[in-house]
Amino acid sequence: MKRHLLWLMAALAVLIVFPFIFGPLQTNLMVRFAIEALFAVSLNLLLSFTGLLSFGHALYFGVGAYGAALILTHLEGIPLVLAVLLSGLAAALVGLLLSPLLVRVRATAFTMLTLAFGQLLYVLCSKFREVTGGEDGIMGWTTPPLRLPGVFSLDVTQPLYIYFFALGLSGLGILAMWYFTKTPMGSVMISIRDNQKRVDYLGYQVVLTKAVIFCLSGFFAGLAGAIYAVFNNLVSVGGVLHIMVSFQPLMAILVGGIGTFFGPILGSGLLLMLEEATQAYPELAQMISGLIFIAVVLFLPGGAISFGARLRGWWQKRAYLRKAREIAA
Amino acid sequence: MSPELQMYLAQGIHGLAYGMLLFLVASGLTLIFGMMGILNIAHASFFMLSAYLCVTVLNATGSYWLSLFLAPLGVALLGVLVERFMLRRAQASGLGHIAELLLTLGIALVMAEAIKLTWGTEGLQVMAPRSLAGLVNIGGLEYPIYRLFIIGLSLVVLAVLSLVLYRTRLGTIVRAAVSDPDMVSVLGVNTRRVFMLVFGLGTWMAGVAGVAAAPILTVFPGLADQMGMDAFVVVVVGGFGSLFGALVAALFLGELNAYGIQFIPKLSPVLMFAFMALVLAFKPTGLFGDRE
Amino acid sequence: MNILETKALCHDFKGLQVLFDVGLTVRQGEHHAIIGPNGAGKTTLFNVITGTYRPSGGQVLFKGQDITGLQPYKLARRGLGRSFQITSTFEKQTVFQNIRMGVMSRMGVRFDCWRRVAGLDSVARETEEILASIGLTAEREVLACQLSYGKHRALEVSMALATNPDLVMLDEPTAGMSKEETHATVELIKRLTQGKSMVMVEHDMDVVFTLADRITVLYYGSILASGPPGEIRENQAVRDAYLGDMEFSNVF
Repeated sequence: MKRHLLWLMAALAVLIVFPFIFGPLQTNLMVRFAIEALFAVSLNLLLSFTGLLSFGHALYFGVGAYGAALILTHLEGIPLVLAVLLSGLAAALVGLLLSPLLVRVRATAFTMLTLAFGQLLYVLCSKFREVTGGEDGIMGWTTPPLRLPGVFSLDVTQPLYIYFFALGLSGLGILAMWYFTKTPMGSVMISIRDNQKRVDYLGYQVVLTKAVIFCLSGFFAGLAGAIYAVFNNLVSVGGVLHIMVSFQPLMAILVGGIGTFFGPILGSGLLLMLEEATQAYPELAQMISGLIFIAVVLFLPGGAISFGARLRGWWQKRAYLRKAREIAA
Repeated sequence: MSPELQMYLAQGIHGLAYGMLLFLVASGLTLIFGMMGILNIAHASFFMLSAYLCVTVLNATGSYWLSLFLAPLGVALLGVLVERFMLRRAQASGLGHIAELLLTLGIALVMAEAIKLTWGTEGLQVMAPRSLAGLVNIGGLEYPIYRLFIIGLSLVVLAVLSLVLYRTRLGTIVRAAVSDPDMVSVLGVNTRRVFMLVFGLGTWMAGVAGVAAAPILTVFPGLADQMGMDAFVVVVVGGFGSLFGALVAALFLGELNAYGIQFIPKLSPVLMFAFMALVLAFKPTGLFGDRE
Repeated sequence: MNILETKALCHDFKGLQVLFDVGLTVRQGEHHAIIGPNGAGKTTLFNVITGTYRPSGGQVLFKGQDITGLQPYKLARRGLGRSFQITSTFEKQTVFQNIRMGVMSRMGVRFDCWRRVAGLDSVARETEEILASIGLTAEREVLACQLSYGKHRALEVSMALATNPDLVMLDEPTAGMSKEETHATVELIKRLTQGKSMVMVEHDMDVVFTLADRITVLYYGSILASGPPGEIRENQAVRDAYLGDMEFSNVF
């Protein structure tokens, strides 16, 4: 336990000094990482902990992003944190509204229904130009500073401050979700994944629990979307509601390791690195995504995290064999 | 016949033609789902690939009929390979149905990009064969022959499928498996080979639909997304694994599409999803299905 | 007083009627077995009472209140627990976690997302007590799917009892067990259901005659006879119904 805490402190220290050591380019990359990781972990709550595969999580991300863009455009003088939280709540509300339908279906039907809702909002947002700006999207609003009256006022359009803003919110969000998995309700969630019927017969309300999970997952996905909006100062259907936006966190989970809490964070980081390495060939992005899906499912279903465990296993085996040989000699 | 009535009628037949085409795609999808419990996300990609293969064969030989024979065959072969070397492995990954969905999603993405790299991103036009070009007069209504041909072709494929399902040993096994998946292993048949054949047959049907659709739809890289969404909705609404449900849902969706474009063009894509949500809200297993 | 009572209960599957006016009564504190040849409708009756299906006619009364067609979780909260014929645990979780799910429900810890589940001392204590009483303390950290068949079945039954129900319904608790495992499970059930009301569907007549205070015989969806074991054993109609059924004729 103490060693964990030590590691955590070390990581925190690295994250704090990071923007002072590296340039704005790397700092912005870390902001994208924070957004992607929060988004992926929120989806993972459904995939790894409730056993539901969603093909439409961009829906919540998009509601959060459009929510932030609309609030910041139309409500001048609103505190930044409030705007971002309200956007997250809007996404949670969407989760609540859809839950009467979503709780009823499972397995493949759930996947198809989420796909349909995701596409539905995509089509709606492209058509209703008056509100969403259609294909062009919403841009150019003035982002208010992050301020605590009398204490500080930070301009989050600066790489340094958006860095702390994004990492702070994302970190808190991930921490909150991690804590949720450790609570009694978190155990009920995991048990629903393993055996929904039994949970029902033990006296738990499966429907209500699932609705809470949809809201929670929607809220944090929306929060990620809102940070995205603040960071980019631009929200468009292609950027936040396109089906590839739903596949991105799915890929992060798969690459990092399905069934683990921290895998998706690792996966987000790895994918971002890969994206940077291949950014000279944007037309290949989709091909690479496809190959990643295929390769991980076929060759490393446990993801990168399991790779570490495998490596450790191999190392231990080697050490063990060496010892055995020494003893034999 | 008044011109207005004629227009509605023509729109109705349009819807029928698209519905049958949709059924052709969706029935392959349903067959695979019913037999193997796999929703093949890449199904529409096979459909699109076949349309592109049709363009290539047509350019090389000039014969539409040859491409109607060759393109689906090529696609089916690819399908068999995918089943043999990928799906089998995915099923052993321990991730359950999630592995299959993600794998076929990956295949769909790769196929879409490979097609863009091979044939480019521009829309390609395919001419209907001369014997099927032009219009025919049915009771005062001028109607394109080719669309009638699509309806006919779909009926022929449906008939062949029924023959296979109800008159052959393979068909008996498939029907047994669709109604009770656990039965297959009990029957002591070589399940793996049957799965491979069924997957091939399913993709072949997508391939036939691809060639049939090529002259009426522009062949472009977004074809799979467009058809794929519609086909998924058909399978979900009709009920997973139910061929009859797929037929009803496909025809209904075809008409909904045809008249939707006529009356509310802006919202016609929304109608489909709304319809699907509505059905699932009242019957989570789809109209005629009993599985999730 | 009757803890469970069904009145003119009917059920049909797509027109095929399986239950005809079944009037089952289970008294407070009694151990009641439902028996009958294959296809008599035992499992259907069981599922209709426990809310899996809604009956097509009739009423189910539990502690005098109408519970017909209530969802399973509501039944569980009113004090009706059940186990399953096909083992249905949380297979990827440890034995401790499995039992804890039952204990949490009993203590009303259902919608709590503020406290850590590991920090709930009273829940942990209760869970340990149950583990000790069912003899699975040594296996507390073993995943349910890694248990031997007999122990997995014992866990299945214990989960139903972990919610401390007023009436527990066991669906073939000894299905598929070896002789030793059956014997151990019968002892376990006897111990855990002492002073409790219990209804079970069971094929193994040794188990039935060891555990049951009263027996109801179901035959083609109707009740053929109901009474104490001795009476059932002597009942001519029951003997006729079971004629040729080796399992049963061995008992006589």
